[in-house]
Amino acid sequence: MTSSSPLIEARGLSKRYGSFVAIDRADFVVQPGRIVGLIGPNGAGKTTALRAVLGLTTYEGELSVLGREPFAERALLMQEASFIADVAVLPAWLRVQQAIDFVAGVHPRFRRERALALLAKTDIGAGRRIGELSKGMKTMVHLALTMAIDARLLVLDEPTLGLDIIARRGFYDALVNDYMDETRTIVITTHQVEEVENLLTDVLFIDKGRIVLDCSVEDIGARYAAVEVADERIAAARQERPFHERRALGKTLLYFEGVDREKLEGLGEVSVPSVADLFVAKVSAERAA
Amino acid sequence: MNDFIWLVRREFWENKAIWVLPACIGALMVVAGAFGKLEIAMLHAGQEQSELAGVLFLFAIGGVFWVAMGIYSVWYLLDCLYADRKDRSVLFFKSMPLTDSATVLSKLFVGVVAIPLVYFVAADVSALLIAFVVSVRARLVFGNILWRPELWAQLQVLWLYVIATGILWYLPIVGWLMLVSSWAKRAVILQALLPPLAIMLAELLFLGTRVSCFVLRDRLLGGGYAALRHPIHWSLSTGEMTPGVWQLPDPVGFLSSTDVWIGVLVGVAFIAGAVQLRKRRTDA
Repeated sequence: MTSSSPLIEARGLSKRYGSFVAIDRADFVVQPGRIVGLIGPNGAGKTTALRAVLGLTTYEGELSVLGREPFAERALLMQEASFIADVAVLPAWLRVQQAIDFVAGVHPRFRRERALALLAKTDIGAGRRIGELSKGMKTMVHLALTMAIDARLLVLDEPTLGLDIIARRGFYDALVNDYMDETRTIVITTHQVEEVENLLTDVLFIDKGRIVLDCSVEDIGARYAAVEVADERIAAARQERPFHERRALGKTLLYFEGVDREKLEGLGEVSVPSVADLFVAKVSAERAA
Repeated sequence: MNDFIWLVRREFWENKAIWVLPACIGALMVVAGAFGKLEIAMLHAGQEQSELAGVLFLFAIGGVFWVAMGIYSVWYLLDCLYADRKDRSVLFFKSMPLTDSATVLSKLFVGVVAIPLVYFVAADVSALLIAFVVSVRARLVFGNILWRPELWAQLQVLWLYVIATGILWYLPIVGWLMLVSSWAKRAVILQALLPPLAIMLAELLFLGTRVSCFVLRDRLLGGGYAALRHPIHWSLSTGEMTPGVWQLPDPVGFLSSTDVWIGVLVGVAFIAGAVQLRKRRTDA
């Protein structure tokens, strides 16, 4: 596989549970070396999409991850892809040392020294049982195990849910400082969009099982604009067909896609929307449509 | 192969009861042998009764471990594909490059090979210690009853034969327990019991017959009947047992029984089903 071919490629990816459609004919690609945020409200299909990518569930449509078909080839896929699905999934009975021995025993790309070095930065003893550790410590053990695996794709599904702010910061700092380089690709879902915003190179917005936006962070500035419009100009601004309007603190923000910046400058103060704001705007617009 | 060893090791880490339970049972029996009241009648056993007494002594110890192992194995098999879905650690294990069939087979191996062998060793060690303790307490009378190397050797072979035939005979039960363990989202024990009960009840209500009831009864209780020569007679007065320990195994009869192979087929089908469910289920 060449470096230019996508790491993940989904065409018409669907997943139904009975009559409930969790993913609805989703198309997306993830290129190597990117940090992609899969962002969506509760029940949007984020976790289902990731489960399909990781080979944990059956699906309809075409899906290729690292050139493999995930469900049929999960064990092979896991040699080059790793994931942390949710916090605190290490079993309570496992000791830290056993966890290291086990992963070292079964994973050809695991580097024990690296895991030990990462753990040495915490004060978690190798003899401790997972069940004795705090939620934050469990997450750090899992992260140390995962970061010691030389994987091409790392998937993180709500990795910091329920952690306090210090543990969350620690998690992302470790990820950025000790793991990420140009050979790696990370797909991450989280509710705390603000927390990962500075990390991401790409965003995938998903709502009700459909991909609402697939865009690189650099392109957001070129494609989208938020304009703070004074009340008397709103009618004029609406001529430019904003896709979303929001009133907050007595101000009205209008969101535009693909409208000439010079044109918008005349309407009010123009800014690049944050990922979180853009997400809310896109999803609200999609639901109103 | 290497992966398989790690998977088996993992089972021993998680389920310490695999060796703690037989160790405790053995320890209790040794304590009972050391401090319990020795049976007076046995003390007067003559030479001719001593072989049977020795056999009964070893059978009794083996029997205790056999029953304990049966109960523990059922619990283990019902829990083995359910526990990690319940605590969600299945998501950690599925992030490893291990196939679901290797995982299921490692648990099958622990349930039908490793656990019986642990109990086999525990029964042997316990029997040796008890025989030692008892013969120290009443050395003149018991010495010649308990220390019969040929009897011990024969029983080793008999136990291993019983374990090997038990694997084949009980495979449909084992497979069913693993299938339920892989399937159930809650109440594993109930879900293991209800379908067979429902089938038996439905058969009785609608057909008025009890075939499924008898099939299940024969499967649960008929393992020894299929694997060993029978009937077994023993007489306490003459000390004779026919057939002798050495003649008990009937491997040809066992392996040529269609019941055995039908059971194996059903068991393999259930286990294959457990693997398929394992691939699809990640949450309890």
